[in-house]
Amino acid sequence: MTTAEMPAGHIEVLAEGTGQFHPVDPDGFRAHIRDHKNRALEPRLMTAREAVSRFVDNGDYLTYECNYLMRGPNPLVHELIRQGKKDLWIAGKFTYVDVSLLVGAGAASRVDCGFFLSTPIVQRALAQGTLEVFEYSNVIMSLRLQAGAMGVPFLPVRSFGGTHGFDHSGARLITDPYSNQPVTIVPALNPDVALIHAHQADVYGNARVFGTGIADAESALASKKVIVSAEEIVDTEAIRANPGATTIPYYAVDAVVEAPYGSYPGTCPGYYASDPEAVFGVFRAVMGDGVQQYIDHWVTPFDSFEEMLEARVGVKKLLDMRRRETVREGYHA
Amino acid sequence: MTRAEAFSDREVAMCTVARMVENGRTYWAAGGGTPLYSVLLGKKLYAPDAQYITEDGVVAPEPLLPFEPMMTMVASRAVRRALAWGTMNSAGIHAQLGHMDYGVLNTLQVDQFGNINSTVLGEYGPGGRRFGGPGGADTIAACCWRTILITDQERRKFVRQVDFISSPGFLDGTPGARERAGLPRDTGPWRVVTPWSVYDYHERRLRLVARVPWVTVDEILDECDWKPLVAPEVEVLEPPTEEEVQVLRTELDVRGQTTDAAGAWITWDGHQYVRSG
Repeated sequence: MTTAEMPAGHIEVLAEGTGQFHPVDPDGFRAHIRDHKNRALEPRLMTAREAVSRFVDNGDYLTYECNYLMRGPNPLVHELIRQGKKDLWIAGKFTYVDVSLLVGAGAASRVDCGFFLSTPIVQRALAQGTLEVFEYSNVIMSLRLQAGAMGVPFLPVRSFGGTHGFDHSGARLITDPYSNQPVTIVPALNPDVALIHAHQADVYGNARVFGTGIADAESALASKKVIVSAEEIVDTEAIRANPGATTIPYYAVDAVVEAPYGSYPGTCPGYYASDPEAVFGVFRAVMGDGVQQYIDHWVTPFDSFEEMLEARVGVKKLLDMRRRETVREGYHA
Repeated sequence: MTRAEAFSDREVAMCTVARMVENGRTYWAAGGGTPLYSVLLGKKLYAPDAQYITEDGVVAPEPLLPFEPMMTMVASRAVRRALAWGTMNSAGIHAQLGHMDYGVLNTLQVDQFGNINSTVLGEYGPGGRRFGGPGGADTIAACCWRTILITDQERRKFVRQVDFISSPGFLDGTPGARERAGLPRDTGPWRVVTPWSVYDYHERRLRLVARVPWVTVDEILDECDWKPLVAPEVEVLEPPTEEEVQVLRTELDVRGQTTDAAGAWITWDGHQYVRSG
């Protein structure tokens, strides 16, 4: 019987990818929310060190927004490396250098690929079998997070079918029981931990992201543990004065970290431009097999990101990045 | 319009795509590089009412050019004065709904059915040479009504069958293959543009339809790993204009990275265009 002859109401799996995928368990996720999320309006402000130490475990599935060069939660990324986290499974979507930094630091052993730079250290880890990659696309990864953020086990999508990425993923091609047409479904993604850099947050975790982004709200709602770093800690009265500007509500958030210039060397749009020299620097480091030197220079000598900014960047350059950010429209509540 | 007297290979491809850009149409430009610059060039010179999105969900921005290095999405200069700010899911969903007329992409490798490889050269797995992955291109190729693909006219890039389908063309080339894979009806590859040539599709197979004056059809076919279809009349493209290269060099790709200023150049020797390199 061909698909077209199938009676409506019948679901058939027509094709399935063989890639390992992060387990799908919506009720387990709900139970985690019930048992571990703080729904009281209680402050959860802490240092990056404390947040990463408390909320990131070895072996966790980890997602971050957006990436190291664009509103990245870089104090938290540095802290993963500094604390020697191991065996993370990374959502490698819309990202350039981050996967290489985490693989180079020995922190990541699996990656779901949307897009990330393939560098000497990534190639070597693949060849040695210390890194496994599963294939998706950027949008498929953000739609998986959308499904995770809806509390449903999977989502039908109109892209990804027919690709070889599909074969190395957790996707399925099924007959849609309503229209009887073939449709691809992808497994919901509920990461163990999300790292998100916001422009503003209050001490409870109500967070505002301005400008465009990838999946800030979806990642926050989909993840078991959520660390928000923010350029500014604002008063809750300011949040209440413009509730439509809230991107993430507090009850999704486990930790808030005050992190001015937290996206250095990248940009936090509307607040400061990137440091082009340092952006090229990290590119050169990952493309030229200099990840360890990068980490030795920028991460491990310091107890905190702030200490690094003071020692390696300096007030003059930071103020200059702020001055060069001439586009400000839309980056305020 | 004055013909330019010296330009690079990549500039030619970008000018060719820019001339395809139409008013009143929506474009999803792959973030950065030749696709975004081609759309911006077309919008600037030929079709000011063409609108575009990128995968961070920006809708119809008026960017402050030039971009800072790598900052072609998310950064404030790139998303300035947009009509809407969204997310990757909003971009993906808008395309999934049918709002995007054209997708513009570039790639490592394309095959006779317009399938796109940006994942691996050689065997999949530890032995192959890995690249970045599809990024937003898979959704662009799946969900925009028509897809314009930019690549170089090189034998290793024009292959009978890609090593890995990262983003879908007409898949195995049989009628209805995309629909059978769950992709939206009536979508698919529309043009492939290289510095030397333009292809359309005839019964879902690549067909050479235009060339630049300084390269012959045979020279183009020599740079294909198999023999593509050739249209009965192969149109000869106009070279880039002074105005086009000026915008490309002074407003868009001021560092010459995307236009590959270090690559091959074409110069007017007083009688004809000559390609060196």
